[in-house]
Amino acid sequence: MNDNTMSIPHLIMSASVVVQLVMLLLVVGSILSWVVIFQRSIALRRAKQEYNQFEESFWSGVDLNELYREIPADDPRHGAEHIFQAGFREFNRLMPKTRSADTVLEGVQRSMRVAWSREEDRLTQHLVFLATVASASPYIGLFGTVWGIMGSFQSLSMTQQATLATVAPWIAEALIATAMGLFAAIPAVIFYNRLSNNASRLLGKYEDFAEEFHAILHRNLQGRDGKPSAS
Amino acid sequence: MVKGESHMAVKPPRDPQDVGYTWPTILAVAVHLLVVIFSLVKLPSMSAEPDSSSIVQATFVSTETFTDQAQQVTEQQAAMNNASEPEEPDPEPPSDEPSAAEQQAAAEAGQREAEAKAAEQARALEQAQAEAEAEAQRRAEEAERLAEQQAAEAQAREAEEQRAQAEAEAQRQREAEAERARAEAEAQRQREAEEQRAREEEAQRAREAEAQRQREAEEQREREAEAQRQREEEARRQREAEEQRAREAEAQKQREAEERRAAEAAEAAMQRQLAGEAEAAANAQQAQQAANSFINIVRRAVEQAWVIPPGASNAMSATIQVRLGPSGELLATSVASSSGDSAFDRSAMQAVEHAAPFGELRDLSAEQQRTLRQFNLRFTPGDVR
Repeated sequence: MNDNTMSIPHLIMSASVVVQLVMLLLVVGSILSWVVIFQRSIALRRAKQEYNQFEESFWSGVDLNELYREIPADDPRHGAEHIFQAGFREFNRLMPKTRSADTVLEGVQRSMRVAWSREEDRLTQHLVFLATVASASPYIGLFGTVWGIMGSFQSLSMTQQATLATVAPWIAEALIATAMGLFAAIPAVIFYNRLSNNASRLLGKYEDFAEEFHAILHRNLQGRDGKPSAS
Repeated sequence: MVKGESHMAVKPPRDPQDVGYTWPTILAVAVHLLVVIFSLVKLPSMSAEPDSSSIVQATFVSTETFTDQAQQVTEQQAAMNNASEPEEPDPEPPSDEPSAAEQQAAAEAGQREAEAKAAEQARALEQAQAEAEAEAQRRAEEAERLAEQQAAEAQAREAEEQRAQAEAEAQRQREAEAERARAEAEAQRQREAEEQRAREEEAQRAREAEAQRQREAEEQREREAEAQRQREEEARRQREAEEQRAREAEAQKQREAEERRAAEAAEAAMQRQLAGEAEAAANAQQAQQAANSFINIVRRAVEQAWVIPPGASNAMSATIQVRLGPSGELLATSVASSSGDSAFDRSAMQAVEHAAPFGELRDLSAEQQRTLRQFNLRFTPGDVR
């Protein structure tokens, strides 16, 4: 009997409507946060793999023109490739128009910054949702608990004797809301930290790559005023 | 690495980094289902666990069983209930078949008899008819003879009568004339006498009417008095009858009450007996519970006082025999079965000594106290540290 009344499904079913709504909200939030966690984890891992592959091919001594030509112009790429594409396209477009190396480099840098900023936006998308779930769900759960305990005390005032046995199921039922809030929040916090850290490290790598590419272009412009070639 | 580069370029444009949402969704739902299943599966085993994790187990040296008595009581009751039932249906079946046979035989015999009787009757009837016919013939002949005789006599008598009649007529005519003369005189006299008589009668009638009236009045009075008396009599009788009835009813009631009281007394006596037995059983059970609670208290106290020595392993167990004084004070502890580690044994004995005065023993009944004054405690570290 005790087993039955204190089991978690039974407690959830016998909770009040508000508490049940809170629980439903928390379950939905938890499921969505896990969707984001999986989706971002996979996306970031792929982005990292692709960056590693591109970096390897970039530093393998291949001709940059060739490298650029292998990327279809109408096909926007992601990650470091996108930055490289944007910068090199800008460089190619500016080279015939101006003799000034500074102007060319400035334009290249600006276009690369834009590309980087787009990459940042793409990598960190949905991570804000994780942060929201992580910070809000404990409060939502707490709200459910407070509401449930309020109801329990209201119904407790009707009874003659307030033994532990009459209070316990109500409080257990109310505390389930907090437990669910924490259940949704803890993975969200952990994975938000981990994923945002991954994303920022990747973005740092993109930035480094952009700087290095910029340095290469700069060196080419300094050497001769003709077309740049691979270093 | 140009090859790798070209391989990358061939890939579909949006695929590599825009991960779809189907797989993450499936994975997320799976994670939640796993969590739910774990929460459902794990809880019962968790609730079942804590019973076995007590580290000190207490066993009695001697305990009484109380179940036998209770069973005896219930058996007795069952026997009493059963005793009255099964007698009735027995005597019927054996008498059934013979009677049927008999009935059949009797019926056959009766039929045979009836047939014989009918034959006899028929024979008797025939005989009787024959006799009756003979008789009737004889009687007819006799009657004829008699009739002839009578006819002759009657003719003689008629002639005589005619003569006598003629004589009587003449005589009567003479007498009638004399009579008429006498009658006239007589009528004269009679008329006078009648007048006289009428007058007298009138006076007489007036007197009689008076007397009659007086008599009637008297009778009326008498009747009324009689009726009055009768009514009184009736009332008295009714009262008496009523009293009689009341007395009888009272007596009846008293008799019934007495009978009822006797029946109730008998039933109460039986119930008291049963209740006494049940109570004895209940007492035994209560005592057992009290003993259990006492043992539990002792166990708790000893558990709390026990400092498990650092070298103790889970497999070790020591049994300490404890003897208590009448008020719960510790008289003696001895190692009934050693764990092999003297430090462990000593720690167990010290735990008993620390927990020692078990004042709860005084709350138990004398008999319980006697049985609980000596018991064994088994110490096993278990997984509790």
